[in-house]
Formats: sequence, structure tokens, C-alpha cells
Amino acid sequence: MRDVKRTAAVVALALVAGLANVVLLAVGGYERSGPTLLLLAIATLAVGWSFVGAGLAARRSRPEPAVGWLMVAVGLAWFLRGIGFVRSPAAFTLVSAVGDLDQALLAHLLVVFPSGRIASGLQRAVVVLGYVLLVPGSVALLLAWDPAAAGCATCPANLLLQPGLAGYGPDAAGLLNAATLVLVALVAGVVALRWRGASPPLRRALAPVAVVGAVLLLFFAAQQGLALLGRSAAPADLALGEVSGSVLLLLWPVGFLVGLTRLRLDRSRVGALAIELGGGEDGATPERVQQALGRALHDPSVRLAYWLADREGYVDVDGRPVALPDTHEVTLLRRDGEPFAALLHDPALADQPELVDAAVATARLSLDNERLQAELRAQLAQVRASRARLVEFADAERRRVERNLHDGAQQRLLTALLGLRRARACLDSSPAAAALDEAGEQLTLALDELRDLARGLHPAILSNAGLAPALDELVRRSPVPATLDAAPGPRLPAPVEETAYFVVSEALANVARHAGAATVAVSAVVRDGGLHVEVADDGAGGADPAGGSGLRGLADRVAALDGALAVDSPPGGGTRVTASLPLDPAR
Amino acid sequence: MRVLVADDATLFREGLARVLADAGFTVAGQAADGDELLALARDDPPDVAVLDIRMPPTHTTEGLETARRLRAAHPGVGVLVLSAYVEVHYALQLVTDAPRASGYLLKDRVADLRDLTEAVRRVGEGGLVIDPAIVAQLVGRSRTRSPIDELSEREREVLGLMAEGRSNAAIGERLHLSPKTVEAHVRGIFTRLGLLPAADDNRRVLAVLAHLRM
Repeated sequence: MRDVKRTAAVVALALVAGLANVVLLAVGGYERSGPTLLLLAIATLAVGWSFVGAGLAARRSRPEPAVGWLMVAVGLAWFLRGIGFVRSPAAFTLVSAVGDLDQALLAHLLVVFPSGRIASGLQRAVVVLGYVLLVPGSVALLLAWDPAAAGCATCPANLLLQPGLAGYGPDAAGLLNAATLVLVALVAGVVALRWRGASPPLRRALAPVAVVGAVLLLFFAAQQGLALLGRSAAPADLALGEVSGSVLLLLWPVGFLVGLTRLRLDRSRVGALAIELGGGEDGATPERVQQALGRALHDPSVRLAYWLADREGYVDVDGRPVALPDTHEVTLLRRDGEPFAALLHDPALADQPELVDAAVATARLSLDNERLQAELRAQLAQVRASRARLVEFADAERRRVERNLHDGAQQRLLTALLGLRRARACLDSSPAAAALDEAGEQLTLALDELRDLARGLHPAILSNAGLAPALDELVRRSPVPATLDAAPGPRLPAPVEETAYFVVSEALANVARHAGAATVAVSAVVRDGGLHVEVADDGAGGADPAGGSGLRGLADRVAALDGALAVDSPPGGGTRVTASLPLDPAR
Repeated sequence: MRVLVADDATLFREGLARVLADAGFTVAGQAADGDELLALARDDPPDVAVLDIRMPPTHTTEGLETARRLRAAHPGVGVLVLSAYVEVHYALQLVTDAPRASGYLLKDRVADLRDLTEAVRRVGEGGLVIDPAIVAQLVGRSRTRSPIDELSEREREVLGLMAEGRSNAAIGERLHLSPKTVEAHVRGIFTRLGLLPAADDNRRVLAVLAHLRM
């Protein structure tokens, strides 16, 4: 609301001042031809109102309201010159004193454009010099300056003139003119310096203003040159000069507005950045965020660095450690007050903190997201690793139990069997001998069962001789005629071999139990960095992949190694169990 | 016939030594692992070494390795490897490594002292011995479309006994067949399987095993 009121007040003031200028122009007392009057009125209104309008427009482009207010001020100050349209000593004296305020404001605007902030001592000095020269300086000059003596016959009297000081008039005027030239040179110099140190977006904003400034400088230099050549202007030329000068002044607000608009367009790139980062198919990888930031900031040297708390250092998007360099400006990205990433960018971008902040705020969402995903991936990797360790642990445990059975119970039973047979050998046929025979048979059966149990726990040949011989044994024992296609290759990681073995074992057992198959083909090949085993029968099919705890447990086992188990069992089309096991699971 | 026995299970080893002694073998020494056996054999090579396939230090296939080293040092010594498991792979590896005076026997054969002592004797005499359980897996296994399927029941029995390393005479005795009948069966089997008649029993075993292994 306050803003609307303020805007309304400015508009009203500008309207009143403009109309007052027109009125003063018409009735002020100076003789002007009709067309000149019209042109001058139009030019006066155009310059003043365009500054005010451009200022109001610029003011909306946060966060540089100062620039907008300065432009408004230039426009309003411009209308002060209308006082000079009144042909009276008082008006003449007043306009001579304060008429150049708009130029001081313009100098101020040029120095601080587009940020609105004074960034150095030099800039402050130039701004102050402008105000001092063009208002108090003019007043001081008026004390000594006699318009009549300076050759202006039509000028009204200078009310501030002190007759005693009139002798210094020409020198003082020369001094003030020279100082004003220095001011112009200083403003041009400051703008040039800012240009040199400016980031690409800032240059894009400064360029239109600099062009306008250069055009105006050339114009006034030409004017001065003509004056020096002694071409005294005729009154008609004078009016024309006034008009054309005003028309050229119109370029200023245009230049400022174009510059600010470009700046705003750059900032709108941040919006594009958000869309770009949000819309990628492969997610906002750190590298993509870095590239997008570079584009949004017009700075291809933009680099992202991530803070790793456990390493207490920064790493780049590829995970390599980086030191924060001196050659780049560093903007830290914080979460909960702790830095989690740093943006390294061209120092010139420091003149655009809002742009950088906006880009960083946008990128932070993606980076946060990416970071959460990275943490999730890390946790998933941990879970996977622990699952794989569980499988390995279980396998190791089975190996241990098998070995204990073999070295313990089996050996003891065998020894007992030996003793029994020796005892039996000492006896002829007798009830005792028959009992021993029966005990021996029972022992032999127990040994058979124990052997099957031990082999089921862990086939010794698998860890001793490898997958191909172990599969060969499986296939040989298969009740359903089975073929094996497995080239004996180099030994594979133990978890892979054991998992493949148990997949084939379980699948063959299922074939024997359910499939009603005539034959079954087993294959195991190493291809593309993985072991691929397949058990395919020509039976009834229609097996439920989800059914049967055997295969489901195997699916978990296979998944624990980052592998995949598939059961393809169309009714009447046989059953095909395939397992793919990466040899080097990404842990 | 002089025998060395090696097994890390002391009670079983001593029982085995006693059984062999009872059966008329001279047990010249006992060893708890392969190195000990090799040391004993170096001092006084036996006719046959009977050893466990799983021995210290790794309890995997030390027996096979010991057999290899033993034969390299003493080519005349027969080697009978005992195992708790039916491992076709190792059995075939053993006899193809040394196609004479070697054998692979399931430990359970101690249930039949005659089987055990006969196996030791056959190995001591330079023959090959393959455990019937191994042969059963080889013959009984149902590879698709095997010429073995076309053999008669009796022929399959003969084939199995050949694969176990038995001579025609032993086969005839076992199956109560006349030597001529056995010979006829053997010829028939060789023709069916497309094998060339072998010069001696060991080569015959190897040829049969090689065929079965396919």
C-alpha cells in the first residue's frame, strides 16, 4: 500500500511539474515561435516524464529500488529547469543555482548503476563532487558572475551578484567549467573501471548505458567543437540545439531501462535453471548442477565443491579433493548453519550477489535432493554389503558345520563301523553275528544320510575344485536326465559359486519333484562380467515363481549379490530358471 | 604285501590298520598327514599307500596331492585314496593322472572288509579301482541319448564292473558267468559304445571311464 501511495504521489508530482513547465514555457515571457514552443514543450515533458516513468518501472525490479528512485529524482529535477522559462531575475538566479541538480543526480546514477550501491571511495568522491560542483558550486559562481558581462544580453539580472567579486567572474566560470569537464571524465572513468571488473551479466546491463553515454559525450564534444570554431549560433539554432539536446537526453532512460531489463532477464535465467535442474531425466547430478549454474551465471568457470564432514575437506563433483582457491570468489551453501557445499565463481560475480544468491538458492534444492539421494545410495550400498556379508557368513557357517560333520560324526561312525566289522569277522554265524550285521547296516545307512546332509550343507568339491565339477556332480545325481554346458574356467568369487550351485541344485530338485520333464539342460557361462546359470526343462511348466520357499530364498540370495533370478514357466512350455550374478558386485 | 596308512583321524586310521593286518597285509607304518606318509615311504617304500583324501593342513584334497608326489618319488607304489564323498571328478582325476596301481574308494567300504582288502590287493598288483558308487553315477546317470541306454541290463552290469577296474575273471565270478560269456559281453559293449578293444585291463578301465565321462 505504501508503495502504491508513493507511486501515486510521484506520478502526481511529475504531472504537476510537467504541466507547470509547459505553462511556464508558454507564459514565461521569452519570445519563441509556435513550432519551437511546441517542440520544446514536447521535449521537456518527454525527458522529464520518461525519466520518472523509467524510474518507477525500474523501482519494481527489486532489489535495486535505489536506482529507480534516482531516475525518478533525475526526472523531477529536470523539471526544475522550467523555472528558467520565466523571464525574471529571480527565476534566472534560481535556475542558475539549482538547474543543474539533475546532472548531479545523473552522475550519481551513472556511478551506481545498476546496483544502486556505492562500492568504493572513488565512487563516493565522484558522487559528492557532482553534487558540490553543480549546486553549491553554481551558487558560488553566481556571487561573481555577471551575465551581461559574460555576453548574454538577453539574460535577466543575477540577483546574487556581488559587485565586488564581479572581477573574478570569468575565472570562476572557467574554473567551474573545467571542474565540470573533470567530473564528466571521472564519471566516464568510473564507468570504464566498473566495466573492466564487471561480470558478464553486469556488462550486459552496463553496455546500453555506456553506449548512450558515449553518444552524448560525442554530441556535446561536437557541440563544444563547433563553439570553439566560432560558429556563433543563431537564435533559431539555439532553440534547435535545445530541442535536439533534449531528444538525446531521452536516450538515458531508455539505456537504463534496457540495462535493467537485461539484468532481470539474466535473473530469470535462474528460473530456467530451476526448470532445467528439475526436469532432467537422469536427475540433477552434481555435474549437471555445476554446468547449469555456469550457464545461469554466464560464468563457465563456476565450480561446485562439496563439504565432506568425515574428511573435513571439499571435493569436486567427481569426488576429488579440492582446496578453495584464492582466484575465485567462494559462496558457501549452508544447511542448518553448516556449510555443505561451496560455489566457486568469478570474483566479478560478487557485484551480483543477488543473482548468485538466487542461483544458489535454486541449485541448493537440487543439491539437497542429490545429496539425500547420495546418502540413500550410500545407505543402500551398506545394506547390500551387509546382506552380502550375511550370505558369506552363512556360507562360511555351512562350510564349518560340514567340516565338523566330516571330521567328527562321520569319522566316528566310520570307526565304529570298522570296529563292528572286525568284531563280526571274529564271529561265525550266530545270533550275535546277525545283530552285528544289522547294526552295521544301520550304521551304513546313517553314514549315507549324514553324507547327503553334509553335501547339502556345503559340497566340498565346490570349494575345492570349483563350480564346473560341482555342477557336474549335481547333474550326474539328477533323477531327470540332465545335460551340462559349463566350461571349467578360472575360479569365481566363493559367494558367486555357492549361489550358482544352490540355484542349480534347487532348480534340479524342483524339476525332479514337479516338472514331469524328460530332460533338463543346465548351463553356466561367464559373460559380460557376470555368471549366468540356467536350468531349463521340457516339463509341464506353469510353475509359480513366487511359490516355493526354496526359489524365493534363492532369489534373496541372488539379490544379495546384486544379481537377478528369473523363473519363466509358461503352462506347457517347460520351466526356465535363470540367475545372473555379477562377478564384481558394486559394493 | 606291505601297506602304509595315512589319515588324520587316529581311531579310524588305527582301526583300518588293524583290519588290514587282520586281512594279512603288513602295515609298515601309519601317518597323520601327507608329509608324514611321504617321509615313511622315502625310508621304506610300501607296495600300497592307503590315504584319506582330506588331511591337514587344509582338509581339502591333500590326499590327491600326496598321491601325486608319492608316485613321482616312487613310481612302483600303489595308491588307494579314501574319501567320505562320492566325487567323480577326483576319482577320474586320480586314475587319469596315473593309469595304473591307483584307486578311489569310498570310506564306507570298510563296511565290507572283503571289498576293502580286495581293493588294496588289486591296487598293490598294479590295477585300477573305482568305487562302485562312482561307477553307478557314471553308468546310471541319465545323459540324454546315450548309447549306454541301448545296453542290456546284463551288459550294463558288466560295463559297471569293468569301470570299477575288475578283470574278466573277476566279472565272471561276480556275475556267475563263464569267461566266454563275459568276453562276448565285453565285445558287444565295446562295439555298441564304439570303443576299440583295449590291450590290458587298465586301459580298458580308462577307455570305459573316458566314455562314461562324456
